[in-house]
Amino acid sequence: MILSSPFTASGAHHYEMPLSLRSFTSLNRALLSSSSPSSLLLRGSSLVPTMAASSTTTVSSTDAAPQLNQSTPSPPPVQVAKRLEKFKTTIFTQMSSLAIKHNAINLGQGFPNFDGPDFVKDAAIEAIKAGKNQYARGYGVPDLNSAIASRFQKDTGLIVDPEKEVTVTSGCTEAIAATILGLVNPGDEVVLFAPFYDSYEAVLSMAGANIKCITLRPPDFAVPLEQLKSVVSANTKAIMINTPHNPTGKMFTREELEFIAQLCKENDVLVFTDEVYDKLSFEMDHISMASLPGMFYRTVTLNSLGKTFSLTGWKIGWAVAPPHLTWGVRQAHSFLTFATSTPMQFAAATALQTSDSYYEELKRDYLAKKAILVEGLEAVGFVVYPSSGTYFVVVDHTPFGFENDVAFCEHLIEEVGVVAIPTSVFYLNPEEGKNLVRFTFCKDEATLRGAVERMKHKLRKR
Amino acid sequence: MEGKVSRASRKLEASPIQELSQLAQTCGAINLAEGFPDFPAPPHLKAAALSAITADFNQYRHVQGICHLLATQMKDRHGIAVNALSDFVICCGQSEAFAASIFAIVDPGDEVLLFDPAYETYESCILLAGGIPVYVPLSPPHWSFKKDELMKYFTSRTKALVLNSPHNPTGKVFTRDELETISEACKIMECFAITDEVYEYITYDRELHISLASLPGMQERTIITSSLSKTFSVTGWRIGWACAPANIASAIRNIHVKITDSAPAPFQEAALTALQSPPDYYCSLRTEYEARRDYVVQILSVLGFQVRFKPKGSVFIFAELPDHCELSDIEFVKKLIEKAGVAAVPGCGFFHTTPQPQDGEKYQRRYIRFAFCKSGETLSAARQKMEQCVNEDGQLSF
Repeated sequence: MILSSPFTASGAHHYEMPLSLRSFTSLNRALLSSSSPSSLLLRGSSLVPTMAASSTTTVSSTDAAPQLNQSTPSPPPVQVAKRLEKFKTTIFTQMSSLAIKHNAINLGQGFPNFDGPDFVKDAAIEAIKAGKNQYARGYGVPDLNSAIASRFQKDTGLIVDPEKEVTVTSGCTEAIAATILGLVNPGDEVVLFAPFYDSYEAVLSMAGANIKCITLRPPDFAVPLEQLKSVVSANTKAIMINTPHNPTGKMFTREELEFIAQLCKENDVLVFTDEVYDKLSFEMDHISMASLPGMFYRTVTLNSLGKTFSLTGWKIGWAVAPPHLTWGVRQAHSFLTFATSTPMQFAAATALQTSDSYYEELKRDYLAKKAILVEGLEAVGFVVYPSSGTYFVVVDHTPFGFENDVAFCEHLIEEVGVVAIPTSVFYLNPEEGKNLVRFTFCKDEATLRGAVERMKHKLRKR
Repeated sequence: MEGKVSRASRKLEASPIQELSQLAQTCGAINLAEGFPDFPAPPHLKAAALSAITADFNQYRHVQGICHLLATQMKDRHGIAVNALSDFVICCGQSEAFAASIFAIVDPGDEVLLFDPAYETYESCILLAGGIPVYVPLSPPHWSFKKDELMKYFTSRTKALVLNSPHNPTGKVFTRDELETISEACKIMECFAITDEVYEYITYDRELHISLASLPGMQERTIITSSLSKTFSVTGWRIGWACAPANIASAIRNIHVKITDSAPAPFQEAALTALQSPPDYYCSLRTEYEARRDYVVQILSVLGFQVRFKPKGSVFIFAELPDHCELSDIEFVKKLIEKAGVAAVPGCGFFHTTPQPQDGEKYQRRYIRFAFCKSGETLSAARQKMEQCVNEDGQLSF
């Protein structure tokens, strides 16, 4: 069994996960006893077991040594599935562990350090008290399906049937998984735009899809239309779009969406569109692909509660799609999680019925935060690319003289005390992202100012 | 655009059970079909959830404390020593834990053994992962299997065996002998075991749930899945877990992170309270469920059902239709809903094998599953309604 070494000079090779448990265990021990845990984590990351599925962990990564069962001398020769070869250990967890270790200000992971609105939390509390603690209907509590349909109509002008065209899932992450597993066959071609949210590639490989990747490049991350056209054919099953876009903050323009729509209609291609940041659109209006002429029939629109209402841990997401596509999504969903958290669904229905003033205030707050971060990053010396939406900003770190994004981020945590995410993990070919890192501004203003101050004082151009 | 749906999900057909479910709703039938309680969740748990929401535990989380509590329970109850730091994956319910486990270990073409009758969802996960479900029939009336028969179902392609004990739908609790047989087979064939132990605290007649992973040589090849849902009557909270050796847990975790990323945060926090419930809680749980079991066994017997196997665990009873009854299970349940206003589940949806000659041809259409995770009032009302439909022999007849 040949393992691709995590320590190859290029470091840019697509990470491989070993198949045999036996060799995994012995290599794992070797890695964990190495003297440089931080670079281990950021390089051969797929070979180190993740300690936490996501977010905050009270355990630092160096506590991670798994204990072999003492009573057996060697593990049984059983194998994990080959689909895991494409899975990289999540960078977010590693960054968070390092951040805790160095007491760094975390502008890496995309969740707020402030909480959601009281009226939504109160609704969840009422639901729990009122006994709404048992299985909800698999595809969603009726009140929530209706609220989603109403909101969708307000946002897009489209009238959808909450019973047949809305499916509630455990977060948008699950909506993405259910959409791909429910609608994509092994061997199907699916177009992805890099950089992309890391679950897209992983789930597409679980489905056995053949990924065709188009890279969006700075400074404006515009869609290279001719290149896209050359890649889409009658063999294409679907195109995945994320707008507003994580990590770049790009928002797909009407022209881009119309171009894509035209290709889809000509070649009978589906669109899966992840719009979780739709309410965080600042520089232009958010446009849903489903609202373009002829596109509802072939589009699955994905969204969630978490980003809009600062309740990322509630895991309430949804897919809106015509009945024939909804059917596939619901099938996969019913076997992935079966049903979604009941009390939170009731609260989500309340949340989605709130007036537009909530969204206006949300935008104002985030714009103020964005200004603090962007001005700060520019003053420090980064090349800051314009971000039209989301609560992310990508910057070019090369003025500071590091060879790649991972090295820069390590330095930023260890010497400056600030966390950013190296964007190379969001590309099929990590080389393409090595000049960029992502900062988030979904933090309170004091935190943002604190981070900017640290960078101003300690980050030096080389 | 029918062709747009994936082949894997197209294999998963909408079941006749869903239609009956709609009929039950239309008729306002008393629901003894679905396995969730109609009595409230424990107050101490709800309070913990409310505190968590108020105290702002609302962002993505992994609550490590859950793993420590579970590790302690496994050591105390089953003598299994696991590493709380590396061996657990907290998921959105046992449903997701199971799905993630299957995706972590099943490659296209791999065979996975299941005991029949079986909860429907297992097969669907296996198919979605490109695996091949292989069913080992349990023979009525006591749902047993023969040692030498079991080995015949293993092939060089067998990747895993799924064990649900206490068992849905029969209420069987696999004995130590049976577990030994299963474990020998898994070791000889060098395959995984995935267990579904959601009813682990709901056993009767002093029967104890034995975790397959506690048998010699099994821990290193077993993925344990379970959840809060049935033990704490919070099926809607979606807090479950997988426990496996670190390398396997890592693979499961990688999948889980891509499927949902995190179980609901405030309920993870409340899980800490749940998992620190005093021994009294588990005693009352068992006692109360046993009383319900006894009640339902009695009324069904009086109504003419053949209860040749009293459930030893779970919240279900798998009752055979009265001898004289010529209806199939689906037809019977339809009548039960329409005429008696009580809903149950026809057993055919749980069977996947061709009946063996010694078991008779028809048994797979002769069983009905009743859930008794319902309040006393509900069960009593169901009895009264069914009593309206008896013949002169006092037996349920349509």
